[in-house]
Amino acid sequence: MNAKKNQYLILLVCALFLITVPSCENSTAIESPTWQLVWQDEFEGAAGQRPDSTKWTYDIGTDWGNQQLEYDTDRPQNVSLDGNGNLLITARREAYMGQPFTSGRIKTQGLYEQTYGRYEARIKMPWGPGIWPAFWLLGSNIETVGWPNCGEIDIMEYRGQQPNLIHGTVHGPGYSGGAGISKTYGFEHKRFDVDFHVFAVEWGADYLKFFVDDVMYHQIKKGDVPGQWVFDSPFFIILNVAVGGNYVGFPTSQTPFPQSMVVDYVRVYKAL
Amino acid sequence: MNKRKYFYPVLTLFALVSVFFFTSCERDPNILTPATYPVIPEVFIDGFSSGLNYAAFGGSKVTAFDVDKDVKYSGTSSMKIEVPDFEDPNGAYAGGAYFTSEGRDLSSFDALTFWAKASQAANIDVVGIGNDLGASRNLASVNGLPVTTNWKKYAIPIPDASRFTSERGMFFYSEGPENGRGYTIWFDEVKFEKLGTIAHPRPAILNSQDQNTIAIMGQVLTIGGTSITFNMPDGTDQQVNISSSYFTFISSNESVATVNENGQITIVGMGNAKVTAKFGDQAAAGSISVTVANLPPRAPVPTRPATEVISMFSNAYNNVPIDTWATGWLYSTAVLTEIKIEGDDVKLYTNLNFNGIEFASQPINATTMTHFHMDIWTPDPTAPPASFKVLLVDFGANGVFGGGDDVSHELTFTANTNPRLATEQWVQIDVPLSAFTGLTTRAHLAQLVISGDPNTVYVDNVYFYRSGGGGTPSVPTAPAPAPTFPASDVISLFSDSYANNPVNTWSADWDMADVADVVIAGNNVKRYTNLVFAGIEFTSQTIDANGMTHFHIDIWTPDPTALPASVKFKLVDFGANGIFGGGDDVEHELTFNASSNPPLVTGNWVRYNIPLSNFTGLLTKGHLAQLIIVGDPNTLYVDNILFHK
Repeated sequence: MNAKKNQYLILLVCALFLITVPSCENSTAIESPTWQLVWQDEFEGAAGQRPDSTKWTYDIGTDWGNQQLEYDTDRPQNVSLDGNGNLLITARREAYMGQPFTSGRIKTQGLYEQTYGRYEARIKMPWGPGIWPAFWLLGSNIETVGWPNCGEIDIMEYRGQQPNLIHGTVHGPGYSGGAGISKTYGFEHKRFDVDFHVFAVEWGADYLKFFVDDVMYHQIKKGDVPGQWVFDSPFFIILNVAVGGNYVGFPTSQTPFPQSMVVDYVRVYKAL
Repeated sequence: MNKRKYFYPVLTLFALVSVFFFTSCERDPNILTPATYPVIPEVFIDGFSSGLNYAAFGGSKVTAFDVDKDVKYSGTSSMKIEVPDFEDPNGAYAGGAYFTSEGRDLSSFDALTFWAKASQAANIDVVGIGNDLGASRNLASVNGLPVTTNWKKYAIPIPDASRFTSERGMFFYSEGPENGRGYTIWFDEVKFEKLGTIAHPRPAILNSQDQNTIAIMGQVLTIGGTSITFNMPDGTDQQVNISSSYFTFISSNESVATVNENGQITIVGMGNAKVTAKFGDQAAAGSISVTVANLPPRAPVPTRPATEVISMFSNAYNNVPIDTWATGWLYSTAVLTEIKIEGDDVKLYTNLNFNGIEFASQPINATTMTHFHMDIWTPDPTAPPASFKVLLVDFGANGVFGGGDDVSHELTFTANTNPRLATEQWVQIDVPLSAFTGLTTRAHLAQLVISGDPNTVYVDNVYFYRSGGGGTPSVPTAPAPAPTFPASDVISLFSDSYANNPVNTWSADWDMADVADVVIAGNNVKRYTNLVFAGIEFTSQTIDANGMTHFHIDIWTPDPTALPASVKFKLVDFGANGIFGGGDDVEHELTFNASSNPPLVTGNWVRYNIPLSNFTGLLTKGHLAQLIIVGDPNTLYVDNILFHK
């Protein structure tokens, strides 16, 4: 009986996997614009140096609503350049400000915000259970309208215990948190933490398209969301590595620390 | 049922395995046969795959493995392992290897995967691949695999697939009872796969430790703790223990230490060398830095009669059983190496902080003993504040640790104590048990703990002894060891072994001493009593010691010899005129005490064999005419007074 049940579950998992693996995208409905590069950070600079303060600012503190375990700092041991043209956001197992881990969370809030466009980053993932890196956008009007009315576009989220999967999600009023509109992109025989991959969203007045290495795996049209479409105002960029929390689960003794998300570049385009 | 089919190879192969499994067959199929081998990933899906055999390990319960058609993860059957109870007369554990007679090419895969569950939650001691019952050069195993009562998929990463082009060792396991009781494990869908989601190989030797050690010429050290850790598809790390043959070992200095492909280091010269390893092009974590140092000379041979000694460690005595000379207590970094110096067994402790020596299973009753003795030698600095400590622990009447009756005492030795800690010298720690004031009982001595700043310590001659009841024996129980110099090399004043030069007096009228002739076990000995200084004159036939190199004398005293007690020997040469006075007399006096080498001790023959060159004031030695013995020990037995070359 147990065996039978297991078999059934396996079939179900296989079926899900087939759906989420990106062989069946259909992009004929929306034309692709021509993109012009308008903002970028290539993260050139000496090892240990902080990222360009004219482009990035910090969220310092802990628990951003997801019961994360890390304390995010602006220290170079958590956020710095690696000297080889990359940004490192490094999660460490260390007691700091009452939290058992430290990490980093940087954003362009107040420095660069834009409505629509293509946002892309070339990233190599950290790894291990309970590690939760993300590349995402948040509506700049969050201070006035609050979350989720401001809108959130998660271009890439990743769980360290599933190193071959990433997730793209939008949150808005009526479709936030666990009800966010999400899709998973997976490799069957590869992982995201061994080499770099490009994660992107293309955002227009009435659509959002999610890409991994130029493969579109997730597309949301204005009429698809079960609530208000809140993606018509400026958004800013966030890069962070969370440790633990209700999305990823807890790190275990088997989670190797320190762990770095390695970001080669972040580029923003506008449609011509 | 397929049962019969599987029993047959088990029984027939068992005899072979007992021989094969523990011997090392040197055949290397990779070298012999460049032919390609079939790519067959399946090991056991619903039955044995093509060419698969099973052999139980020697000493295991050979019937432990069977095919189960009732319990299976998928298909029609699974592999069932019945782990026996503790002390099962048919075998105390379950273990065996699944191997093929022909090699398979597994180089396109990255893991052996299988589903497993058990009748109870347990940790399987070993599961692995690469055991071909021969050289098993690709051996790789996971220790303590956790299984539960639910089916779960497991993977054993292939450490280096390029080596698996003609592999015969498909799968093996070994598991003993859990808490003494047997249980059942099922494996199913055992096969090789290319997962592609195993990443971040991290090879290691010596369990990733960077070790430092002192070694001696000719010593062989084996590098263990060889493993590679992978990050698995679920993000967790999995350590795979692998044979050292996966690594290339490198010595930084081949003239000090060579290392072979099996990770065996051989010390070939003095100096320093660091041995590291590579796994392919990747540096392995862990290293060992070897410092090759001079050996101490042989420790002084104990002379206490065996009947008066309880010896823990000495080649001079029969030793009582000791449970361990290195308990490996938490935080102890001490490493014990057993070595021989000129045939004499010595314990070498390196990285010493503290080290437990335990003999609790047969405690020592030292109630009739009076002294504790231990010889130590260190190459390390011993100037203050360096110290060496000796802790004795008695488990009390209950004979076991705890129970409120344990007593102990620790003595600390430094360069300012007696005995005096010294560098590159045998220090004889020879102390009355009464000095261990906290050791109020000593009928159940069970632990000896040594600790110190000298991190490298050679230890020899650890024993308790009885030095007379209420006092030392007043008379030697044995004669001094007979000298063995050829008679032609000797000018003797007093010895049963040689013809002796005439001596005018053994106690000149100007000295302060009484002398008597005594016989100890048939051997003639001079006994001085009431000694302050004794004048021995051989003026009528002076000695020409120009051809000689050493002055030799054996002494024995029952008196206390702790500092500042000393004995002194003065030699006087009457010069060319051959008579006292005349302005050409020369002399020199040497002093020996408990800190000298050899140390002055009570109740033991002490043999002084002194180079004449040490008598620096003795500018001429063609007309030696007087020997003057000075001593705090007021009673002195003297024998074998001679010059030799």
